[in-house]
Amino acid sequence: MLKIRNSRDFIGGLTMICVALLFIWFARDLTVGNSFQMGPGYFPVVLSLLLIALGALITVQSIVVEADGSEPETWNAKAFVLVVLGPVGFGLALAGLGLAPTMFLLIVGVATASRYANWRHSILLGLFLSVCSVLLFTRLLSLPVAPFGPWVPLIGSV
Amino acid sequence: MDLFSNLMLGASTAFLPMNLLYGFIGCLLGTAIGVLPGLGPTATIAMLLPITFGLPPESALIMLAGIFYGAQYGGSTTAILINLPGESSSVVTAIDGYQMARNGRAGAALATAALGSFFAGTVATILLAMAAPPLAAVALKFGPAEYFSLMVLGLVASVALASGSLPKAMAMIVFGLMLGTVGTDVESGTPRYVFDIPELYDGLNFVAVSMGIFGICEILRNLENEQERSVSVKRVTGLMLTKDDVKRIVGPVLRGTALGSFLGVLPGGGAMLASFASYAMEKRLSPNRAQFGKGAIEGVAAPESANNAGAQTSFIPMLTLGIPGNPVMALMVGAMILQGITPGPNVISDEPALFWGMIVSMWSGNLMLVILNLPLIGLWVRMLTVPYHLLFPAIIGFCCIGAYSINNSVFDVFVMAGFSFVGFALSKLRFEPAPLLLGFILGPMLEENLRRAMLISQGDPTIFVRSPLSLSLLVFAVVVLVLVLAPGISRKRDEAFTE
Repeated sequence: MLKIRNSRDFIGGLTMICVALLFIWFARDLTVGNSFQMGPGYFPVVLSLLLIALGALITVQSIVVEADGSEPETWNAKAFVLVVLGPVGFGLALAGLGLAPTMFLLIVGVATASRYANWRHSILLGLFLSVCSVLLFTRLLSLPVAPFGPWVPLIGSV
Repeated sequence: MDLFSNLMLGASTAFLPMNLLYGFIGCLLGTAIGVLPGLGPTATIAMLLPITFGLPPESALIMLAGIFYGAQYGGSTTAILINLPGESSSVVTAIDGYQMARNGRAGAALATAALGSFFAGTVATILLAMAAPPLAAVALKFGPAEYFSLMVLGLVASVALASGSLPKAMAMIVFGLMLGTVGTDVESGTPRYVFDIPELYDGLNFVAVSMGIFGICEILRNLENEQERSVSVKRVTGLMLTKDDVKRIVGPVLRGTALGSFLGVLPGGGAMLASFASYAMEKRLSPNRAQFGKGAIEGVAAPESANNAGAQTSFIPMLTLGIPGNPVMALMVGAMILQGITPGPNVISDEPALFWGMIVSMWSGNLMLVILNLPLIGLWVRMLTVPYHLLFPAIIGFCCIGAYSINNSVFDVFVMAGFSFVGFALSKLRFEPAPLLLGFILGPMLEENLRRAMLISQGDPTIFVRSPLSLSLLVFAVVVLVLVLAPGISRKRDEAFTE
């Protein structure tokens, strides 16, 4: 019976193999060519094959070699979701809401990821940073983004 | 004298009031962010890169270099004052520096760090100025085959000197190289991996990728084991060194500078390795070795000089060959490309004002740090007390706007978010992200040279071993790999990193 000694590396190795297979799959329409006339697909495919080999090596090692002292995993799922999705929300809302409200929502939203967050601090920080960012980025550096977008009634600019 | 006239040319660029100002802002911002916990130099530079976009190339690079050594310096300050190294290269400084602070000698430790760094920075800058032109002259004779081999050597050596498992680090390089192929293929104009997304035709933006992997991902890791720190710092007094102190630090500073300058040039080396190695060396050589770990001033002087020397000389391969040895240099290469400059041996002859201006600005930047930081120590201490739960939302906000401002498009914000996820998954699986960034930056150059070399040789791969220069570079790469894999050395390497 096969026993996996280092499950983290086992998963890691398999992930690398999957990534490489994905790259090969999406390169299926690219001309590979030969070593003299390399097509656009040559380099990515060769690299993918190399990555498969490395992934296989890591996987084999994870079965053969004992893992050296694994520390307990901490996993803060809430922080993870907020911090990764916060910027996505920022990107989606920016054009519609404008910089100031988007920034405010982003700050107040991601701040709740911390165990020590408190609403008063977050709201003050959000207000402060949205004012600062509007002044710095739309006034001084003239980024093409309105402080308030079309979704904001009355003051929003289209 | 040639060197002299070159340095004069550099001074005329670096001492322009505008460039002095940007250098100053860079040092100030770099130190401020370096002092803040949980943000290393790589994340700092990635985060601040967008604000240099609008500047002329000289000013942008001078400012970025300032941010880099400012961050370096800020890291040592926190290491000494609160035993919290701001970044990996000041980990060893914390050992003796913090003990000195507890003995009421924080001022002396900070002064030692500042003066040692300044001395090392001066020597390393002169070294850089002397070594760069001949190296670049050699590199100009390189053909595509030699370039390819040189990059392979650079990539291999950078993993060899990094910590962690070798196959995993190699996998990260290859993954980085693969990410570098996204976008339009230069030779044939064929889009690769773009999935009909117009923004991807130019490839993944490296600023967005590095902000995701280093900036946002670091926040995620910090939030996982978040603890409220109660920082209590005594007032720092007594910045002056005694005669005895000076006598004790001269040796360590000189040795640290020499060792750091040497290690900085090696790919994958740079500041961290230099500081570790020089601390270990002083521990063996010093007549006061019994005091090490209990507040020996030598234990601050040596690693601080070494890491600054290493930080400075790690610019040598980047500026002369266009090959970054560590992630910070990879970001500098990316910044140069964004400014329309192709890093490589041509920079010296094509852009002499930029090249020499940058070198001179390194020295003036170091001088500014000494002048600026010792009196401002009180301000930095106050910054330390900013709680993390207020800090990280601000960092995320800044990264979002920064990513948006790259191309004024929200697509780069999504790329950043995506790569923060990738970076987090990789760190959970214990893959080092640094080699990925190196591979990502070097990928397009590596492919271009490979294809040109193969075209010249008409598809004959022996071109890489027929040229003596290319052959010796490849042999060297193999030797490095074998050395790392050899059991005796790999054990030593582990010891060096755990010590």
